Amino acid sequence: MNYFIKRIGQSVFTIFAVVSISFGLIRLLPGGPAAQLRAQLIQDSAGAADMERVNRLVELHTNIQPSKPVWEQYVDYMVAVFQGDLGESLWHNEPVSAILGEALPWTVFLMGTSLFISFVIGIALGAVMAYYEGSNFDVSATSGIILLNSIPYYIAAVVLLYFLGYQMQVFPTGGHYGSGVEPSLSIGFFRSVLYHSVLPISSMVITSFGGTAIAMRGNAISVLGNDYLRVARLRGLRDRRITMEYVARNALLPMYTGLMMSIGMVFGGSVILEEIFTYPGVGYYMFQAIGSRDYPVLMGSLILITTAIVIGILIADLTYGKIDPRVRGEDREVY
Amino acid sequence: MKSTDTKTDGGTDIDHDLFDSGSDVELARSEQLSNAFTEYVYAPVMILWDDWRARIGSLIILGYLLMGTIGVILVEPATLHEGPRLEGVFEGTEFLLGTDILGRDLFAMIVHATPAMLQMIIAGGVFTTVVATIIGTVSGYKGGVLDRVLMTVSDIALTIPGLPLVIVIVVIFPPQHPVTVGILLSINAWAGLARALRSEVLAVREESYVEASRTMNVPTRVILTKDIIPNLMPYIMVNFVGAARGVIFGSVGLYFLGILPFTTLNWGVILNMAYTQGGSLYTLETIHWFLAPMITIILLSYGLILFAQGMDRVFNPRIRARHVQDDAGTEDTEDDGQIQTTVTEQI
Amino acid sequence: MTEKHETNVAADGGTVQESMAGGTSINEVDDSILSLRDVSVTFGMERGKSKVLNSVSLDIERQEILGVVGESGSGKSMFASALLDAVVKPGVVSGDITYRPGEGSETDLLNLSDEELRQLRWEEISMVFQGAMSSFNPTKDIRGHFEETLKDHDYDVESGMAHARELLSDLYLEPERVLNSYPHELSGGMSQRTLIALSLVLEPEVLVMDEPTAALDLLMQRSILALLEDLQTKYDLTIVFITHDLPLVAGLADRLAVMYAFEFVEIGPADELVQHSAHPYTRSLLRAVPNLDSPLDQMHPIEGASPDPVNVPTGCSYHPRCSLATDECRSTDPPLEEVEVDHRTACFHWQESRQEIPLIDDEETGEHDSDTPIRTAAPTDTVVEMQDVDVHFEQSSGFFGFLGESDIVHAVDDVNLDIHENDVVALVGESGCGKTTLGKAAIGIQRPTSGEVSYRGQDIWEAKDSPDSTDIPFDEIRQSLQIIHQDPGSSLNPNRTIESTLEMALKYGPHDMKKTSRRNRIHGMLSYVGMNPSEDYASRYPHQLSGGEKQRVALVRALMMNPDLILADESVSALDVSLRIEMMDLMLELQEQFDTSYVFISHNLSNARYFAGLADGKIGVMYLGELVEIGPAQAVIENPKHPYTEVLKWSTEDLNVEEELENPPIRGIDIPDPVDPPSGCRFHTRCPYAREACVTQSPSISEDENEHGAACFRDRGEDHEYWDSDPIQGVEASDD
Ligand code: SF4
Ligand code: SF4
Repeated sequence: MNYFIKRIGQSVFTIFAVVSISFGLIRLLPGGPAAQLRAQLIQDSAGAADMERVNRLVELHTNIQPSKPVWEQYVDYMVAVFQGDLGESLWHNEPVSAILGEALPWTVFLMGTSLFISFVIGIALGAVMAYYEGSNFDVSATSGIILLNSIPYYIAAVVLLYFLGYQMQVFPTGGHYGSGVEPSLSIGFFRSVLYHSVLPISSMVITSFGGTAIAMRGNAISVLGNDYLRVARLRGLRDRRITMEYVARNALLPMYTGLMMSIGMVFGGSVILEEIFTYPGVGYYMFQAIGSRDYPVLMGSLILITTAIVIGILIADLTYGKIDPRVRGEDREVY
Repeated sequence: MKSTDTKTDGGTDIDHDLFDSGSDVELARSEQLSNAFTEYVYAPVMILWDDWRARIGSLIILGYLLMGTIGVILVEPATLHEGPRLEGVFEGTEFLLGTDILGRDLFAMIVHATPAMLQMIIAGGVFTTVVATIIGTVSGYKGGVLDRVLMTVSDIALTIPGLPLVIVIVVIFPPQHPVTVGILLSINAWAGLARALRSEVLAVREESYVEASRTMNVPTRVILTKDIIPNLMPYIMVNFVGAARGVIFGSVGLYFLGILPFTTLNWGVILNMAYTQGGSLYTLETIHWFLAPMITIILLSYGLILFAQGMDRVFNPRIRARHVQDDAGTEDTEDDGQIQTTVTEQI
Repeated sequence: MTEKHETNVAADGGTVQESMAGGTSINEVDDSILSLRDVSVTFGMERGKSKVLNSVSLDIERQEILGVVGESGSGKSMFASALLDAVVKPGVVSGDITYRPGEGSETDLLNLSDEELRQLRWEEISMVFQGAMSSFNPTKDIRGHFEETLKDHDYDVESGMAHARELLSDLYLEPERVLNSYPHELSGGMSQRTLIALSLVLEPEVLVMDEPTAALDLLMQRSILALLEDLQTKYDLTIVFITHDLPLVAGLADRLAVMYAFEFVEIGPADELVQHSAHPYTRSLLRAVPNLDSPLDQMHPIEGASPDPVNVPTGCSYHPRCSLATDECRSTDPPLEEVEVDHRTACFHWQESRQEIPLIDDEETGEHDSDTPIRTAAPTDTVVEMQDVDVHFEQSSGFFGFLGESDIVHAVDDVNLDIHENDVVALVGESGCGKTTLGKAAIGIQRPTSGEVSYRGQDIWEAKDSPDSTDIPFDEIRQSLQIIHQDPGSSLNPNRTIESTLEMALKYGPHDMKKTSRRNRIHGMLSYVGMNPSEDYASRYPHQLSGGEKQRVALVRALMMNPDLILADESVSALDVSLRIEMMDLMLELQEQFDTSYVFISHNLSNARYFAGLADGKIGVMYLGELVEIGPAQAVIENPKHPYTEVLKWSTEDLNVEEELENPPIRGIDIPDPVDPPSGCRFHTRCPYAREACVTQSPSISEDENEHGAACFRDRGEDHEYWDSDPIQGVEASDD
């Protein structure tokens, strides 16, 4: 129980910290967004600046009221954000939470699937490599993986886009579903969604499964060298049981920590990936916001992506205690 | 085994020369220097050379270093319309990698982007490892409240997604100098390493030899640098390389998308131009414009990974001892010894 | 390894069989359950083939306990693995192993299909390893281990689990608690016993045990052995017990087989082998055992090391270390010959060996007249004085510290101890009794929770905290109190050469030396402790030294500080038996040269006696954080006043084959949780003499005129209320 409280507390604290950083960036730093927005608004009103109106607008967009003392601004901002109010987009003139709320499921879908596929492939490959440790297959797979790992995912994305998207036109080059398809629970819709996600997911998977495979290979090799495995064989247990309950289970457990680390990496990467594939997720909107200097959206995306990661890690961490008896109730390190 | 005869003159005065060896073991200064050279330069280089991965990795990195230093002097900067538009790879002898849409030599552009890139990488790598080493070792060695605070901060830094945070900061404060870019890009890359180092320090500080040093009243500073940090070197090196790759991937990505200001030439900038101006996606004609910087990046990253794997060996005293001894002409029995231990373990 | 050697062995195998008395074959027993003929295990290595088991032939009797004794690297574990055809690849087993179950037909063990082998294992022959902790799947609970074993062998799970519970309680474990635990939740002794229960759950005929107790405390080892004997009778087991520790099995085993260099060199009934051993190696082994009853100057280490499997000496493989070796021994391999009925040995000169290599017991039977310490210490100044020292640790849990309730571990409670100049104090006790913590408190690297530790009258921690108001600066105190650790593997920095490790001591020590004289000193010391050529050793890294050499370097490092007191924390325990005495001798020799004192920590009473006895020092016995007895070494050993000391003495290996293994003079095998120690006398939960008074009152030490005292009411006068109170539940009333 203690452990749960601790972990949840830590997660909330992390989100809190990010929101604070975001407040600091918006408000406190000279030349920061709030100041810029203000200057912009004053300029827009061409001399006839109605300071009160400007301040109101600034507050509407950023949740910050420039006329109040800093600490009050801070409290207001925090309260607003934790109530789900991320301000209003300058560009779309819509609440940020509405825009991003629409986009978030797509990002989670894209990145979650990539992560899942990449882990499945990596674990399977790693296990096979460990089994044939030292063979030609092992050596060449290792070299191949190092090479794949050297490719940035966005380069893989562009290459895939170039060949399969533009040259051969096998896959669509952007969007999250076909233009003629209505979002519904129909097969056609799902088909279209999957079809549109193939390239982004592939570019992520191709460049990331190798790391998992290498880690899995190492784990499996060390489990194979353990005494308890030898004893299990001596005990005359059936091979199936040894493979599943001894080797697989113990080699997979440490991978869970790797999964937690990857959540952050993958979600962070969504910004670049979604831009390349014009895939309307949080990252895409974040990128658009850069061009239009739409600070509320920018900050909102940062907060939202962090929250998604924190929740992902929290779930992973809390379930870890369920599957590994050794950490149950203990003061375990997060990573 | 024991020399019992020495015991006969055994006074209790230990500053007596009883324990001073008769032979003159003083080494000439030059000899000391050459010993140091063997231990710190020659042996590591030989170990790296021994492993094909490390050998290739070092060669690749050396190549890039040369490109960023001497290359800049040898190769003239690219100028507009110095060659035909969009000449392909190896089509002429003058422009090996071809030219871009404005007739600039791609090879020259890549070479001249190297110094800034190297500065960025080194800045990011050094920043990450130094911050992580300080936080990790202090946190692990001192413990207590300081440890808790530092680790909570690390946990938060670890959770905040690096790229989005960097993007936000970069948008608000566009960095100019490559060094600033490098540091900004690794703004939270230290956290993972700091955590790993801390747990390693926690393990090492419980080792008997660290306790022995403490008991001998060896200053904390010396314990940290001599007893603890050497054990962390493999982690630090591997993570230095990891951080360097992070900077390469991050910077190229952000330049590529045009998020970072084009104050300096960068491989990512070339990619960006190929993508946006050359329309590389739609025609085969400009593919080399895109491929050239791409391969440059992949090759460096490949070299760094190989190098990191080799460095792991340099810090392994078992392997190092073998090389120092080899040089001294001592018989090399280590290989046999190792095989033997693995066998005797099974007996 | 020469071909000639191999053919020799094969030929000998033949001759032995023929030459056996009365035309009987090598089968010296009629009802053997396992018989091995010319069983070899070979590994192909780059340097050539290595035979790690060399044409071994042996019969194992039904329901006997066979003890197999050998040094590490003698091939004894290979022998164990071969019995289950479980040699790790790339090892290859050859020869014949025949298994004769009680009913049913003979089985050729080495020619079974995978499935047959799988069924034979654990159902017929099961095995227990050292390090039970790592023998369990860390992510499966103990119940799961039992159930899967039953299921995979198609046993009825319900009745099987009932049997499992019975086995667990036979081994003094609480069945339900253990079954519900995960492996990491069990202590070392508990998991070892659980593994034994697991090995018996399928009711096998044969139990092979490979160093099953090596990692445990002596008391636990002995207790397990006593239980094993009960199990053997209860379940009609045949037990093969493999160990490096001859005295440990001597009392348990019916027969003993001694291995040297991958062969059996002597086989015979246990008592016969211990009292009238014929092979020089066995005799030296027996002489090397620190025996509580034998005089101190009669323990001799065996010189030299056992051979490498690739490079076994020709002829008798023991000849490089044998004092009786002749040319014949160097060229011809001696066959196993009958010495007496059932007693065989492989030595040409076994008759001489019995005369030339005397066993201690042969000459002086328990007379301790030569047992004088090598010196007697005159009363001297106190170096370290400890008063009412408590050390408590917090086992905190919880992120913010205040969320979790923290448990207090009482590592050391209320201990008084004085250490004089040139003194030796040996602290003994089971692991977790607080002896190391007390030692560390004595040398000022563990801050006591309360109480006072002073160095020559100066409170150490005061000197550290307020450096201005002290007589002796903390730096000086720090240098005067040094340590040698237990684990040779971690006592030296793996990244530095020996020279630079030692240089550190001189650099930060009390010396003001130039680099050259530092080098001279280092080399001089190294060659003094027998590490020649010193230049070579100085430039090595720790992994290039053996365990014994590492400990010598650690000793040198400590001495270089010119200390007044050295804490030797189990510093000989990790060494081979034969090296222990050598190391202890060296430590004592250097003590004289350097005028230093030792606090010697050991879980082994006989090591403590050897060390403290020779230096005329004291032995202190610790139990659950308290010092329960202290006194002159000889007095504590010969006339223990505390029941716990008696238990320790019982547990200390004695070469006693005559007596059956009696049950330990103690109730309960496991030590209570130090977080919540028992009330009154902490030993009352296990003490065989405990009475009601012991539950409520805690005794303290009162020393007699010899400075010998124990914290036990039985040490008090007749009028103490202990004698009038009733024995507590579970203790048989006795009025001794
Ligand atoms: S055969 Fe010779 S060398 Fe071997 S033990 Fe006997 S006397 Fe010693
Ligand atoms: S005081 Fe009582 S319980 Fe304690 S050791 Fe003595 S007799 Fe046993």
